[in-house]
Amino acid sequence: MTLGYLVRRLLAVILVLFVVTFAVFAITMILPGNAAVMILGEYGTEEAVAAMERRLGLDRPWYVQYLDWIGGILRGDLGQSLRLSLPVADVVGDAFWNSASLAVTALVSVTVIAIPLGVLAAIKRGTVADLIIGVFSYIGASMPEFVTATLLLIFLAGPALGLFPAGGFVSPGESLGGFTSHVVLPAATLGLILTAHISRQVRSEMSEVLSSDYIRAARLKGLRERRVIRRHALPNSLAPAVAVISLDIGYLLGGIIVVEEIFAWPGLGRLLIYALENRDLPVIQAITLVLATVYALSNLLSDIVIAILDPRVRYA
Amino acid sequence: MAGGNARGAGADTPVLEVSRYSLSYATPSVPVHALKNIDLRVTHGQTHGLVGESGSGKSSLAWAILRYLPENAIENDGRLLLSGENLRNRTHPQILEIRGRRISMVFQDPSTSLNPAMRLGEQLSEVLIRHRGLTLQEALEESEAALARTGIAKPGDMLRRYPHEASGGEKQRVVIATAFACNPELIVFDEPTTALDIITAQQILELFNQLQDETSISALYISHDLGLVSRVADVVSVINSGEIVESGPCAEVFRTPRNDYTKALLDAVPNPKQWLGVSEPPSEAPALMSAKGVTVEYGRQSLLGQLLAPKPTHLGAQKVSIEVRKGELVGLVGESGSGKSTMGKVLSGLQDFDGIVRFGDRDFARLAEIDRAYRRAVQIVFQHPDASLNPRQRVREILSRPLKLYDIVPREQRAERIAKLLEQVRLPREFADRLPHQLSGGEKQRVAIARAFAAEPELVICDEITASLDVSVQASVAELLVSLQRQTGTACLFITHDLNLVRQLAHRICVMQHGKLMDAFHRDDVEGPDRNPYTRALLKAVPPPASQAA
Repeated sequence: MTLGYLVRRLLAVILVLFVVTFAVFAITMILPGNAAVMILGEYGTEEAVAAMERRLGLDRPWYVQYLDWIGGILRGDLGQSLRLSLPVADVVGDAFWNSASLAVTALVSVTVIAIPLGVLAAIKRGTVADLIIGVFSYIGASMPEFVTATLLLIFLAGPALGLFPAGGFVSPGESLGGFTSHVVLPAATLGLILTAHISRQVRSEMSEVLSSDYIRAARLKGLRERRVIRRHALPNSLAPAVAVISLDIGYLLGGIIVVEEIFAWPGLGRLLIYALENRDLPVIQAITLVLATVYALSNLLSDIVIAILDPRVRYA
Repeated sequence: MAGGNARGAGADTPVLEVSRYSLSYATPSVPVHALKNIDLRVTHGQTHGLVGESGSGKSSLAWAILRYLPENAIENDGRLLLSGENLRNRTHPQILEIRGRRISMVFQDPSTSLNPAMRLGEQLSEVLIRHRGLTLQEALEESEAALARTGIAKPGDMLRRYPHEASGGEKQRVVIATAFACNPELIVFDEPTTALDIITAQQILELFNQLQDETSISALYISHDLGLVSRVADVVSVINSGEIVESGPCAEVFRTPRNDYTKALLDAVPNPKQWLGVSEPPSEAPALMSAKGVTVEYGRQSLLGQLLAPKPTHLGAQKVSIEVRKGELVGLVGESGSGKSTMGKVLSGLQDFDGIVRFGDRDFARLAEIDRAYRRAVQIVFQHPDASLNPRQRVREILSRPLKLYDIVPREQRAERIAKLLEQVRLPREFADRLPHQLSGGEKQRVAIARAFAAEPELVICDEITASLDVSVQASVAELLVSLQRQTGTACLFITHDLNLVRQLAHRICVMQHGKLMDAFHRDDVEGPDRNPYTRALLKAVPPPASQAA
């Protein structure tokens, strides 16, 4: 893990982001209708649409619009939302923090639950505990979010129990209790499938490590089982799990769009759907850029964590 | 040479006494017997060699002594006594106190028995912390001293390294230092040199003898290699199918074996003084194949790869020239990573190269020029028949492939030819209907040899074809190869790390190291004055077994 390696990886991240923004720009250009049409509605006259296009700068060639936007980014200016008449940075910034609070809650609870579950299943291989964890994982992995969300809403937010609110958002700064009660159901929806996925991965890695020669050697040194598991087996089985978690972040970013819509969570997912419906190009671009950056950086972070766990990777 | 210093003190109670011990494994059908009525004693300061082929039960005995048996193990009421205490009466926590402190173990392959994610120092010092209650600091100091005793030049540096940062020999020294760390009563060595290079193995063996003399710790030394055991053990037991067939002082067993199985094993150990090969072709015989200045570069990258993450390339072979004449057997000897297998791949048309390969009167300058005629005339047999035979194909299909591909015989004669090929490799013709997993290791290798000879080649390249086989099977495979050579007049390039074996077969021997050809000589000149120092070091590392030295 050298500085040169980090610099190369960061350059690669920037290259990827550039390609992503270009692709998104190209796709929104192909879509029928633009912000001017959407603002004025079906009955806007041609002159009115043309005037609106001129006001919004949509009459310029696409490459001028793109370069203008890229230039803005480099100056730290994400532009104005075409529809909300607010700076994009403000709109997307608020939504980003809301989404981040949901995603981080989901990811942290998944990691905290899934890794011990997987380890337990591997140690108790072939027992009832392993079987129960296995069955839970199969069910968890095979249910799409909207089904999980519906079931959770019916049973936990329905009139019978009403433990949690069915939707909405309270920021953690405002009331931590309010935030917690609102975040439980969306986070559980996002987390269930990931918990299943990650615990299975950890179980299979851990089982393999436990049957390795060096674990046998550690046991034949007379070490206590607790040290064999924690010091010898766990670090070796976590590195592959971290790789899976970082891939799952990509899945999480997709899942968040569905879950936010279902639970009326005012995050990036809901904002993205709104912006797409209204052809609000600067907002679409900004959200895409944010999501791609989060994904690329979390991959980089996971590579660093793997290098810490597995010294053989370090000389890359 | 062996550390034969069995002392009188406490010699009345053996350090290890196994008596009437039997072990079997429960399977869904019938129990598999691993050990039958084993009696074995290791006295104080003694090294007891336990010799057997794969599946003989020698490792099962090690697991039984360390009380590390799988759940399906069924034991009789035989006894396993450590200094008079029956290990079988001990509870699991008591066993954990004994392992590593009173009995420790050295494993076959240091690259898999060390944890890749932990520094070597931690892996060594943890036994001291566990069993002698030292603090981390004390344990590390003690580890450094222990490592120094195993001949590691900078033990302090070594402790801070991870396993992948150390060589095979260094790693095995760490494992050995760990085993000796708590000054145990008994150390079980399970083939501790098999996974190492020849010269490294020799050094580890010397280290073993030195430490044994210094500490007079008793040892149970498990190996398949009789020659090796004869150099370390005071007493030897020969185990076959779970039974000890012969036991006695090492020199005696090797000089005058009583049991037939022991005799057969001893006969199978390659003896360089005993010529097995075919008679040498006349010296004016033309070269069949000659490689001139062959260079192979591994790790070439694409342009983008070079830009993003440039890695140095590595030379698998560097300007190597080798010649094989018609009907000749040339030995190509080297340690792992020497480039000998790279040359085997180049000459069999599997690896791109720079330089010239001349075959008959045609020149080939790179992989793309190697054509069908060349591929038919040059066949290869690989080390692992398990990997080179398709597990889904019957022997018939495996052998008919080259017959069809090169149109060796008309379709209606194929069955007849397959039967004949099987007969040539001394397998019954009914084996044509078998699948590879229904054959033993030696039988599979015979099928692989038959496949190579099916194409009626002019040159057969044998890449470590005996390395994965048991000693007794090795000898018969080598002998088979020679008899096929005698019948067909095919030339052979025999790639191996086993100098004693190749000296029985090869007319000329080439020695490679680090991708370079170090030495090439006629078999009569093995001890000639112009031998390369590396060749001499190799020869010194593998002296013939004690029984043959006289």
